[in-house]
Amino acid sequence: MIEVKELSKRYGGTSAVDGLSFSVGPGRVTGFLGPNGAGKTTTMRVLLGLDAPTSGEALVDGLRYARIRRPMLRVGALLDAGALHGGRSAFDHLLCLARTNGIGARRVAEVLEQVGLAGVARKRAGGFSLGMKQRLGIAAALLGDPGVLLFDEPVNGLDPDGVRWIRELMRSLAAEGRTVLLSSHLMSEMELTADRLVVIGRGRLICDTTVRDLAARFDRGVLVRSPRAAELAEVLTGAGAAVAPDPSGGLAVTGVDVSVIGDLAARHALPIHEATPRSASLEEAYMELTAGSVEHRAHGSAR
Amino acid sequence: MTGVLGAEWAKIRSVRSSRYGLLAAVAVVLLAALVAWNGARIWDGLPPGERGSLSGAGPMELVAPLLQLGAGVFGVLVVTSEYATGTIRSSLVAVPRRWPVLAAKAAVVAAVSLAAGLVVLAASFAAVRTFIGDRPLPGPTGPPGEEVPVLAATALTVVAAALFGLGSGAVLRSTAGAVAAVAVLLFVLPPFTFLLPEPWGGRMAAVLPSGLAVRIAGAVPDPVLSPPAALAVLAAYAAVPLGAAAVMITRRDA
Ligand SMILES: Nc1ncnc2c1ncn2[C@@H]1O[C@H](COP(=O)(O)OP(=O)(O)OP(=O)(O)O)[C@@H](O)[C@H]1O
Ligand SMILES: [Mg+2]
Repeated sequence: MIEVKELSKRYGGTSAVDGLSFSVGPGRVTGFLGPNGAGKTTTMRVLLGLDAPTSGEALVDGLRYARIRRPMLRVGALLDAGALHGGRSAFDHLLCLARTNGIGARRVAEVLEQVGLAGVARKRAGGFSLGMKQRLGIAAALLGDPGVLLFDEPVNGLDPDGVRWIRELMRSLAAEGRTVLLSSHLMSEMELTADRLVVIGRGRLICDTTVRDLAARFDRGVLVRSPRAAELAEVLTGAGAAVAPDPSGGLAVTGVDVSVIGDLAARHALPIHEATPRSASLEEAYMELTAGSVEHRAHGSAR
Repeated sequence: MTGVLGAEWAKIRSVRSSRYGLLAAVAVVLLAALVAWNGARIWDGLPPGERGSLSGAGPMELVAPLLQLGAGVFGVLVVTSEYATGTIRSSLVAVPRRWPVLAAKAAVVAAVSLAAGLVVLAASFAAVRTFIGDRPLPGPTGPPGEEVPVLAATALTVVAAALFGLGSGAVLRSTAGAVAAVAVLLFVLPPFTFLLPEPWGGRMAAVLPSGLAVRIAGAVPDPVLSPPAALAVLAAYAAVPLGAAAVMITRRDA
């Protein structure tokens, strides 16, 4: 269980997080989305006690992180997979962390096995590929078998196999009843992995919703074309749909599924030339939500 | 706390640069031996009338500053390497009270530098005495009862240099900055004492690390610094930057 309450964090003049509140419950994957500079990493750093909040608080299982004894047994985190001493082996890297929380070498070997790095456990981490470093970072998060997991952009730079592996791992961790918060700036990835979405922009909450609700909210109905549009409109309205003329010429139908429209048309022997569901993709929904809060937008090159 | 200590020890043991440090320690012993051997060879080659003109710094005066520098840089790297690689964040996330991380680093750095300092000093001492024999050359030629306290005090200055490096590294979070602080203390400030008017030059020379070992051992009579006072000054070299680091590591964003 993660609770962020009225959290603000300023770095000198820049406000990284600004009055942010949300909570993340156990048993599902919560996606933490926002454009570059939205404040995702900052929120996680405050949650992990690395940065002190300017105001408000961030709690894990009702506790301030700094007050947790042996925190690795409760919270696991991946912030920056590249944060490794290149000369240390994967095993030693994990062992150094494990020891601080009284975790033994056997558990280190176990998590290395779990993330598929058992074969390179004694190799210097400096020589690892980006994907291997991400796996090592995830292994570190899993060391204490914690109930709460935070991952900051774990799929960055991974190949499709790696992306799928992380997706499945996240889902299985949540299915075991853990609280999983996963940040990303890619909705396409979240769509497949997360159940809930917390979207922020410029340090503020934009929406806190489920993937399903967000998709429904951006449902734009079905575009229907028929040579007997007037009769079809009447039939559809009778079935409870809302029908409006579409600027492109056809009918914009909302409130009924495309299959219902097809069935009704067939029953009344009305020809249909086109029936296109127009729900915006989650990606578009996300772009629309965050349009006002994108920090670094590319401008035309020649000005 | 034992877990944090074990972790810090494992961190040092598990990187290759620590082994290079050991090699450097062996090199210091060999260097001292070489200088002593060379001094003895020259002395033997001179006609007896000119032998008295051989003076200057003895081999052990070379060993102490090299050891202090090596230990200081070691102390710096133990903490700044974590800032440079970013691993400090995992370390502090694992131990959110933070000060135990610094305390464990200090304990491990002190133990390692004390052990290395004692071994290198004892080995250099033995080698130098073997080569000099009973020639009246500059060097540790007195009876062991006189020499051992100086060696022990020198080992303490090595520990202090290492902890000074650790504290400076934790405050500055930069390898270059903290190594520069160590170098200024060990090599830049001592020549300045010759530029200061007396009695200030002498007083400053007394309180710099280079002059503390003999004063702690009581080997030179000194009106400014009694042995306990010299020991307190040495302790301050470690305690002040470490204290500042302890305050800052708990207050600053990581
Ligand atoms: N240590 C810092 N000092 C100053 N400004 C900072 C610091 N850390 C973050 N910021 C600023 O705070 C804002 C939020 O940054 P943050 O890293 O939390 O965003 P993010 O959502 O993780 O972005 P990204 O998707 O690019 O990783 C940015 O404007 C950033 O420049
Ligand atoms: Mg980020």
